[in-house]
Amino acid sequence: MKRRDFLKTSVVAGAAFGMSLNGIEASVPAVHAAPDLVAVMGGEPEAMLLKALDAMGGIGSFVKKGQKIVIKPNIGWDRAPERAANTNPELIGALIRQCLSAGASKVTVFDHTCDDWQKCYKSSGIEAVVKAAGGAILPGNNESYYKEVKLPGGTKLKSVKIHEALIEADAWINVPILKHHGGAKLSCAMKNYMGIVWDRQIFHSGDLQQYIADICTWDKKPVLNIIDAYRMMAKNGPQGRSIADVQTPKQLLASRNIVALDTAALAVFNQFAPQKLDMAAVGHIGHGASLKLGSTELSKLNIERIKM
Amino acid sequence: MKRKAFNVLKGLRVLLAILFFAPLLLYFTDFSGNLPEPRGMLFQIVPALLLPALWVILFNVVLAVAFGRIYCSVICPAGVLQDVINRLYCIGKTKKKGKMRFSYHPPVDKLRYGLAGLTLIAGGLGFTTLLALLDPYSNFGRIAANLFRPLVMWANNGASHVLESMDNYSLYQVSVKTATVAGVTGGAIALGLFVGLTVWRGRLFCNTLCPVGAVLSLLSKFSLFRISFDPALCNSCGSCERSCKAEAVDSKAMTVDASRCVTCFNCTSTCPKQGLKYRFAPVFGKKGGSETDEVKPTATLGSRRQFISTGVTVAASIPMIAAMAQHEETVVNADPALDNIDYDDLEPVTPPGSGSLKAFRDKCTGCHICVVRCPTQVLRPAGFEFGLDYLLRPHCAFVSSYCNYDCMVCSEVCPSGAISLASVEDKHTTQVGVATFNKNRCVVNTNGTDCGACAEHCPTTAVHMVPYTGTLTIPQVEPELCIGCGGCESICPVRPLRAIVVVSNASHQRIEPLKEEEAEQIEAEEFAF
Repeated sequence: MKRRDFLKTSVVAGAAFGMSLNGIEASVPAVHAAPDLVAVMGGEPEAMLLKALDAMGGIGSFVKKGQKIVIKPNIGWDRAPERAANTNPELIGALIRQCLSAGASKVTVFDHTCDDWQKCYKSSGIEAVVKAAGGAILPGNNESYYKEVKLPGGTKLKSVKIHEALIEADAWINVPILKHHGGAKLSCAMKNYMGIVWDRQIFHSGDLQQYIADICTWDKKPVLNIIDAYRMMAKNGPQGRSIADVQTPKQLLASRNIVALDTAALAVFNQFAPQKLDMAAVGHIGHGASLKLGSTELSKLNIERIKM
Repeated sequence: MKRKAFNVLKGLRVLLAILFFAPLLLYFTDFSGNLPEPRGMLFQIVPALLLPALWVILFNVVLAVAFGRIYCSVICPAGVLQDVINRLYCIGKTKKKGKMRFSYHPPVDKLRYGLAGLTLIAGGLGFTTLLALLDPYSNFGRIAANLFRPLVMWANNGASHVLESMDNYSLYQVSVKTATVAGVTGGAIALGLFVGLTVWRGRLFCNTLCPVGAVLSLLSKFSLFRISFDPALCNSCGSCERSCKAEAVDSKAMTVDASRCVTCFNCTSTCPKQGLKYRFAPVFGKKGGSETDEVKPTATLGSRRQFISTGVTVAASIPMIAAMAQHEETVVNADPALDNIDYDDLEPVTPPGSGSLKAFRDKCTGCHICVVRCPTQVLRPAGFEFGLDYLLRPHCAFVSSYCNYDCMVCSEVCPSGAISLASVEDKHTTQVGVATFNKNRCVVNTNGTDCGACAEHCPTTAVHMVPYTGTLTIPQVEPELCIGCGGCESICPVRPLRAIVVVSNASHQRIEPLKEEEAEQIEAEEFAF
């Protein structure tokens, strides 16, 4: 009953907001048998991914034959995988193989990195797994790769330059790593959008929390958000100071509902972090809910929890 | 048949010159960072002098004493560049207007030895800008790095754009951030000078302005192998003189000025009569009885006397140079609460491994290979903003990038030892400057919104966020953790003046390595939601 209510309100809300907000809501009926959110615990990155995809109806529910897919991990920093500053490379490799097995014509991976992009791609281990898995890794280091898109649903951010690979893709998958973050407080699925845009300076000088929510209103929503919480940076984020910043929750969360997913991720974060974060401090999650990007009320969702 | 033997020498010279020059040219215009360091870097005289690499100096001395100024024809990239310019100039021209357009001129010893003396004395007194401006290797570096490399990068971007339109991303776009006004101007003036002098009078730069050429000329006067006339075979046609770009061959007097000869073998290969030969002919040896050699010793003595006398004259102008060299070295003690920094008068942040502003100024000749290789393009050539004695030296410009925490590339490629890091730990504990935060400008304070971009980019948590009002957090700097990498400054969104700025340490400071922290690993049996 509750879930149906959620769907109803979502559809109504979506209709009210027009075509720009047809991302999550419109696609939900197609997978109505699947849970809204899947959480997996206790396995290796690839095994947890397969469990989660299985629970959501398999990769075929998200990736269709012949599609050009973009996978957007967090590759922001010149750090080894053990430092949990970047998305787990094993997870990215496994996801590429899944997409290709579902018949994707091309799987590309990129991030607008903070540190030197070539160092990031290398140190993160992601460049190597992408090549090994048969994907393509694209540069994101130059403004010429980014094209202007309008964000009619944004509160403050009305247009932004987004990487052309995403604009041209048939579908994209958002694959952040869960981290502490000095500026945004928490770095997860919504925050990971900052790696698809060119000009991040306006995010910081404008209103960071609101801009993060605003960029998530882009009408091309990810077909799936997958949170890598195999390792987690519990403090000194987003790049970390030493290995001591890293906890190992060995979890993976997946959902189309980005707000719910970040809400759940915050709960995981607080379980492992020395300093708990208040939901209100991670302002972008609340702003996302206000923009009807999803729900923070996990109790109203159909969550499947899997222990391995 | 014998003529062929001479051509072999010239052919060898050209081949060796290409083998030295081409890898250097590629190295200085590369942007991928993948090319290995060419061996030719090792043999450059001025960097070796500053390093100091005694074996390189010794090698070059022995080379000059034994064979003449091979350095100028083969090893020196500026010398070879002038030959390339000359070659390009001669395309489509008649011999008379092209490669046979030269004629003998007497040496300008006052200028060449005076300038070399001035350069050495000024350098000894700590004003190395003159050396930096005249060093042929560094001039080549500045031309290649600031003029040629941007062209290569733009060409790459064009090609990359075409490939991308076909969904091929094997090339990637690059941005040219290091081409500062000063760097491009410095490169353009040097190239203009080389083109102008080469077209006008061949290797005039090498024989008047170049201090390396001047010093080598003193050695090559005594070279064991040298080119000399064979009066019996010479029919005084003068083709040797017209082919000599060093203007050292006097066909009427049948002399070759060994001090200016750059051993290019143009004359020997041009001579139709075998009238000139490159042969073993020591100046003081019994066998060296030709007219040329008899002329030489007196000339040597004369110019040596001249060298000393100009040196004395030059000494008179030292106070002036010293005054130019003096630059206020105020150690700005980093006060985290600094609100009264004069941002227009900050000293340059010198690269980690340079020790201090003074040491860096002394050893850096501004060849810009570090600028070329720095992966984040944070090293950029300075103009006059830090004084004449910092002209064309690179500094860390935290405009849109910063010094990568684990990177030591500049130290690895610096040929003169101006940048020298022992290890990555050395870098992690070297503080080149300190971040200073200005709360009055910070967006957290002025806008009441979250930002934290500075703390985000800090690799050591020297800049970190502390509670402010409500849920907001604001940056705080712990100077004892700060290495001055500029991550914070480069990303701060506040304009025109940024809210966090690295104030340089005139003398780099040593900080404690980051403490190893113990973190308790938390286990969770149940889901958190």
